[in-house]
Amino acid sequence: MVNTQQKLKKYLEEIKKNDQKGNKINAFLQLNPNAKDEAKKIDSKRNKGKLAGYIIGVKSAINVKGLNASCASKTLENYKAPYDATIIKKIKDEDGLIIGMNNCDEFCLGGSGETSAYGPTKNPKNLRLISGGSSSGSAASVSANFCDMSLGSDTGGSIRNPSSHCGVVGVKPTYGSVSRYGLIDVSMSLDQIGPITKNVNEAALLLSVISGKDENDSITRDSEKLNLREIEKIPKNIIVGVLEFKIKDQRIQKLIDDKIKKVADKYGWKIKKLEMEFLDLAVEIYYPLVYVEFFSGTRRFDGRRYGRRIEEVAGPEVLRRILGGSEITRSEYHGRYYHKSLKAKKLIEEEFENIFKKVDCIITPTIPRLPHKIGEKISVKDMYDYDALTIPSNLAGNCAISIPSGEINGIPVGMQIICDKFKEQKMLQIARSIEKLDI
Amino acid sequence: MDFLWHEVSEKEKKEIKEEAKDIMDSFSKRLSKIDKKIGESLIERKKCERKEGESSEGDIEFREIMFENAPQKNKDFIIAEKKKW
Repeated sequence: MVNTQQKLKKYLEEIKKNDQKGNKINAFLQLNPNAKDEAKKIDSKRNKGKLAGYIIGVKSAINVKGLNASCASKTLENYKAPYDATIIKKIKDEDGLIIGMNNCDEFCLGGSGETSAYGPTKNPKNLRLISGGSSSGSAASVSANFCDMSLGSDTGGSIRNPSSHCGVVGVKPTYGSVSRYGLIDVSMSLDQIGPITKNVNEAALLLSVISGKDENDSITRDSEKLNLREIEKIPKNIIVGVLEFKIKDQRIQKLIDDKIKKVADKYGWKIKKLEMEFLDLAVEIYYPLVYVEFFSGTRRFDGRRYGRRIEEVAGPEVLRRILGGSEITRSEYHGRYYHKSLKAKKLIEEEFENIFKKVDCIITPTIPRLPHKIGEKISVKDMYDYDALTIPSNLAGNCAISIPSGEINGIPVGMQIICDKFKEQKMLQIARSIEKLDI
Repeated sequence: MDFLWHEVSEKEKKEIKEEAKDIMDSFSKRLSKIDKKIGESLIERKKCERKEGESSEGDIEFREIMFENAPQKNKDFIIAEKKKW
């Protein structure tokens, strides 16, 4: 039987060792001061839950009662979560242990992990590089072996992006499959919470615990329960969709293409080339939605009930979205930005629906480029393009997973597998089959 | 530019605002080129409705922590200045 106390001790030592080395990864903003007592309680239980023995990090945008849900911002610097998010309750009910709150991009805005008000998260695979974002600390803490698994949130790729850069598994569940009650939102029409883990099986386990309908999040619904044993089975007659559209970095493209060929040969899966008419507009559709919804959501950060007024203490990326969102929602621009994007979002959704009538999954690189150096100068447009291949699944509401797929110059490269809405079982089976190739 | 967090001056705020508007304009311009007729999105409400009469009991600690979080408070209420927002 796994001993939670022993595992917690091991991970705390690992974190402490890293903090003292002078190369702090900066994956955690706060460690749970009650973790040891909670671990003791779990170990003393006779009938333990599904997550007993698992040590879990949580993105600082998710409410864990009594811990600091700061969103890595000065705005919520001293904000103590007054309640548990629904998914946290579910994890605690299954005896998972929360080790602490993970660093992230400020208010989950960023694709690099650099915009945190408490310093960037370093990539455990190469400390000079970004970890990716926005769930930077969640991915880095799993990659650095500071915990077993973590929770991130994904609005346009924020789970899959850092998972790809840090060489771990990250799942963006179907929109509506996991409750967001207790998540400090970026964009309610796109946000999803999901697991980051060391392998596909553990992602499936955590997802099976956190998914399901919640009265407190009206978009959630029940779907078919994940069968964890079935995930080990290699699915037959799979048709893999690959995009005609190729990314600029040929090294990444080749690595993914070779892997797809290998898996198709090994399992007898078919490959079908796909064209997507509106895919290259994903970034342009996504950002106006996020600017407007984020601006709207932040009106509550007025410094009266909690925290400080957001406009007074936020960093550049948060301000860009607030000021940009404020500007484009002015009545004189009625319909030009948000409404147009909302309508175009529907096109992407329809395009995916049609494609999934012909294929079981679509496989792409997770990120079209390798991570840059921390603090390196990069244009806003280039930064936004990091998420060009992850955003479409958020716009369409599909499920998607990033799994490690090899390395280029020692830097991990992730493969993204996208499936139709509520097809997590199939997606995890495909991902596990591909993962097995490397074992 | 780099993306590291830093305090933002009033001058930089103005630049950020202009830059954000430029980015949105360039995005909007690209979206204008879509010539396909797009329908309106509909929200299906039936499956999403909350059930009446089912509510969990309140947590006493919630109130305690909320007051702890409030920057200005009196015994049992939060103080907010009028016209400050």
